[in-house]
Amino acid sequence: MRAPFSWLREYVTTSASAHEIARRLSVSALEVDRVIEAGVADVGDNLGRFVVGRVLAADKHPNADKLQLCQVDVGNPDPQQIVCGAWNFGVGATVAVGLPGARLPVLPGPLEERELRGQVSRGMILAEDEVGLGADHAGIMLLPDGIEPGTPLADVLPLHEQVLDVTPTMNRVDLLSMVGLAREVAALAGDELHPPDPEDPPIRRPEIVDVVVDDPVGCPRYIGRVFRDVAVGPSPQWLRSRLHLAGMRSISNVVDITNYVMHTWGSPLHAFDRRLLAGGRIVVRRAHAGETLRTLDGTMRTLLPSDLMITDGERSVALAAIMGGLESEVSEETTEVLLEAANFEPIGILRTSERLALRTDGSNRWEKGVDPHLAEPAAVLASRLLVDLAGAEPVGATDVQARLPERPVITLRPERTSRVVGLDVDADEQRVTLERLGFDVDPGWEVTVPTWRARDVTREIDLVEEVARLVLDRLPHTMPLRRAVAGHLTAAQRSRRLIEDVLVGAGFSEAYTWSLTPTDPHGEAIRLPDPMSGDHAVLRTTLLHGLVDAARVNVDAANEQVALFELARVYFPSGVQLPDERWRVGGIAEGGYEAARAAVEAVHDAFHVPLEPHRAVRSFLHPGKAAAVPSGWLGELHPMLLEGSWGVFELDVDTLVAPVPERILYEDVITYPANRQDIAVVVDDDVEAGALVATALGACGTVLREARVFDVYHGDQVGAGRKSVAVHLVFRSPERTIGDDEANALRERVVAALADRHGAELRAL
Amino acid sequence: MVRAAVPDSKSDTDVLTPRFSVRSRTMDVQALQADALAAVAAASSVEEIDAVRVEYLGRKSALKLALREVRDRETGMALNAARLALEEAVEARAAELARAELDRRLTEERVDVTLPVGTYRRGHLHLITQIRREVEDTFLGLGYRVVDGREVETTRYNFDALNFPPGHPARSPLHSLFLDDERVLRTETSPSQIRAMEAEQPPIYVVSLGRVYRRDTPDATHSPIFHQVEGLAVDEGITLADLTGTLDFLFRSLFGGERRTEFRTHYFPFTEPSIEAYVSCHVCDGDGCPVCRHSGWIEVGGAGMVDPALFEFVGYDPERYSGFAFGWGLERIAMLRHEFPDLRELWRNDLRFTRQF
Ligand SMILES: [Zn+2]
Repeated sequence: MRAPFSWLREYVTTSASAHEIARRLSVSALEVDRVIEAGVADVGDNLGRFVVGRVLAADKHPNADKLQLCQVDVGNPDPQQIVCGAWNFGVGATVAVGLPGARLPVLPGPLEERELRGQVSRGMILAEDEVGLGADHAGIMLLPDGIEPGTPLADVLPLHEQVLDVTPTMNRVDLLSMVGLAREVAALAGDELHPPDPEDPPIRRPEIVDVVVDDPVGCPRYIGRVFRDVAVGPSPQWLRSRLHLAGMRSISNVVDITNYVMHTWGSPLHAFDRRLLAGGRIVVRRAHAGETLRTLDGTMRTLLPSDLMITDGERSVALAAIMGGLESEVSEETTEVLLEAANFEPIGILRTSERLALRTDGSNRWEKGVDPHLAEPAAVLASRLLVDLAGAEPVGATDVQARLPERPVITLRPERTSRVVGLDVDADEQRVTLERLGFDVDPGWEVTVPTWRARDVTREIDLVEEVARLVLDRLPHTMPLRRAVAGHLTAAQRSRRLIEDVLVGAGFSEAYTWSLTPTDPHGEAIRLPDPMSGDHAVLRTTLLHGLVDAARVNVDAANEQVALFELARVYFPSGVQLPDERWRVGGIAEGGYEAARAAVEAVHDAFHVPLEPHRAVRSFLHPGKAAAVPSGWLGELHPMLLEGSWGVFELDVDTLVAPVPERILYEDVITYPANRQDIAVVVDDDVEAGALVATALGACGTVLREARVFDVYHGDQVGAGRKSVAVHLVFRSPERTIGDDEANALRERVVAALADRHGAELRAL
Repeated sequence: MVRAAVPDSKSDTDVLTPRFSVRSRTMDVQALQADALAAVAAASSVEEIDAVRVEYLGRKSALKLALREVRDRETGMALNAARLALEEAVEARAAELARAELDRRLTEERVDVTLPVGTYRRGHLHLITQIRREVEDTFLGLGYRVVDGREVETTRYNFDALNFPPGHPARSPLHSLFLDDERVLRTETSPSQIRAMEAEQPPIYVVSLGRVYRRDTPDATHSPIFHQVEGLAVDEGITLADLTGTLDFLFRSLFGGERRTEFRTHYFPFTEPSIEAYVSCHVCDGDGCPVCRHSGWIEVGGAGMVDPALFEFVGYDPERYSGFAFGWGLERIAMLRHEFPDLRELWRNDLRFTRQF
């Protein structure tokens, strides 16, 4: 919302500058996006070079068909000769003049006297767009008659303007109005508030205004006012300028008045051409199923029975609170106006506006809950302006009301405010603050909330906030006492950090990929009914696809040594309401199977969990290089998924760390040294190393602490279809030294078991 | 002093030529010693000193043979004394030569220390993880715990328990990602507040960090998935000033000790009073620059005193307990602190980006 400063100052007397006010508002009331400097630059005596002029003579330029040669009284003894390209005025017109030397926002340098087709032009007759007061360039600005020539233009028009650009929070719809903002400024600075209070134009020959509200929940109040003899035409320049600076477009005096009053009071209005309403009636009801309405923007809208409609009893004439209908729009032919100053229930308006993707200045206010009491001052101000600016004759008024909400009454304990805020705020200060904001505070601290805050302030804590926001800049910085605290990570959280650190140490960089994927291999994976796009439709059950995409990004970027991991959640349907969210760690790295194996080994080693993979089949893995472990899988990525040789893995973190004991018990590995033996056996090619190791370990009991394959040899010496496997054996006992004789005997047992189980032949090393 | 019974005799003959018959019963010990010492002194390499050791002290050396055959005590003592002196001289010379050879070798083994070796490779934590850990560690140090929360939530925990009014935009499928009427991808980390409070009684000091989801079209400053940090403190006597003090501490740890903080009024359904926290711009220190959009201040995120409605939901007595909560996006902190223009980089995983941090 934009608030031109000269407009704001009409409602609050303050000596504070625009920037001071912006600063105070931003701390204590609402977000101030910026202070816009609009119009003509206020530098040097620039503003003095803009004056009111009266046209004394206006003739066609002798040498140019499209130009007028004018003599303009600008308050000097001699008239000023000005060449002008516009024709929307004649002798006697009161106009805005820029004198030589004036700086205009649309020109790079100052205006200069110059010759145009042989005639000197000393200045410029101004159009509104040339001084930032509007968008119109069809003609020059016409000012009201009777202003003395030579009057500074800045006295007549907001020639230089500072505009507050503000965004109130959604609970403060009262601040989407000039009066609301003025009230806030007055409260913050202790200044005086004087909202507009015009005389309500009297109705001389009253007529019946036929308004029926079928749905008082959706429309708790409807003020209808009827005017005859309305002269629809352009708005006066001051109104056009104010609307322009407030970010609105001038349309016609009648429409401009409704927008101006909405901006002033925050209660949106609508004007119907009454002769286009059947019988001049208004009936407020819900839409019929399948009903349609062409709205002002020209779009045909299909309505639902939940949509609130303004009708004339026969057909809909407006989508209530959101947009008028095209057919009953006020036009140049309009002479009778029915002015609607109503109130609408917010949630229904929000639903309709969201469904139709139709948001307007009006719906933006209604959906936040506008104070129904504002309808009346809005109707009065609009009536006054219709009479003053459009020559309208008020002939009827009605106010159909359901029971309007009562003002909440809340007990405030001033000491509670201080307790919540953490600052001793004097009770008198609290009272004054609340009263300035429109609250009534009785001696016993019964606080009555003003109507415009009745939705937002309903509890003691809400009153505390009203005081707190005005002392925010005085707040001390303290720390909670923390008498009982326990700052530590859980074992699961520490495990996740450890996995991250181990993989980083192993050369992997961490990737973040989307939880939502186009498809997922899990048949029952959770699908969003209304996804943002097909690419983000399913809650993933594996990290693989995101990692493959991330690897591809790096391949395309020609990055070297690509190794990525992700530690994130996957989401399994669980049979109960919420899915089973599991932490997974996955990785992808250049270097094929070995890269995956090394990473998985590093992670297992970090937790002292033995890595015992077995051959497995996964459709996304190389069929010969795929393995499973209790917590997941590892292998080489199937080259159909990404060209090259990529090691990939994915482990379920909880499963991985489940065998980790709470504490590791000491074992004496120092007192009695180990006896180490190497053997090499020849076996058939298809005998897996893991099977040999398992057999070796099984043959000797716990004395064989370790059996590790350290070499595999294929070649002539062992024959086709055979391989030599070298195994390092470590014998150790915590109770005695294993001597060579004992070790040799144990070694023989290992060899015998390998021969027996796998047909292994001992080979000399 | 042992005196040998043989007269002095000097010789210039080759040290390798034996001067004594192995069968001789007497020998000139002094001459032998002198010859041997000369040979020791003349040795110029480890090999040569080894040869001298064999020649004069080896099993077949004249000295060893003489020692084997010696019969009288006096000769024996003289020979032993010569052997000890000789051994000492040989060892000393051997050490000297070995050290000289080591020095020579080390001198020759000089490397170009400016050359890389090219084998070490370390990965990088994602920038958001780095910031997540910084925030976690800051609060762990203040005595807070870290809770994990869920990403798929019930609307009851995500909206109702957090006091979202019926018309709040977040409740609309235009803004949030629903699974059905009762389940939604959490729109903020705040439901973890409710779960933490339901799980135990005050005092509660927790932070919760993780992914949140909103129906936002991805652009330079928006992502439908992003990360939030949520904090909650509930205890007797917690005040708004405690909140601003805590955030002041956090911001200065994240953005630098010389930062100033400012707190402005705001609105959130789950806090009352609500504030928005600002930190003085770390680039211009408040003078105004493009990073702070010329305001001198950077908006970090929302906070406030826990709304009593939340205490009612979890069954705490709002007269006895008060609390504060805060929550904001980690991506925003990352972008502000490291001054990169497009948060989508955080999801592209291009190592050229990742390896910078
Ligand atoms: Zn800055």
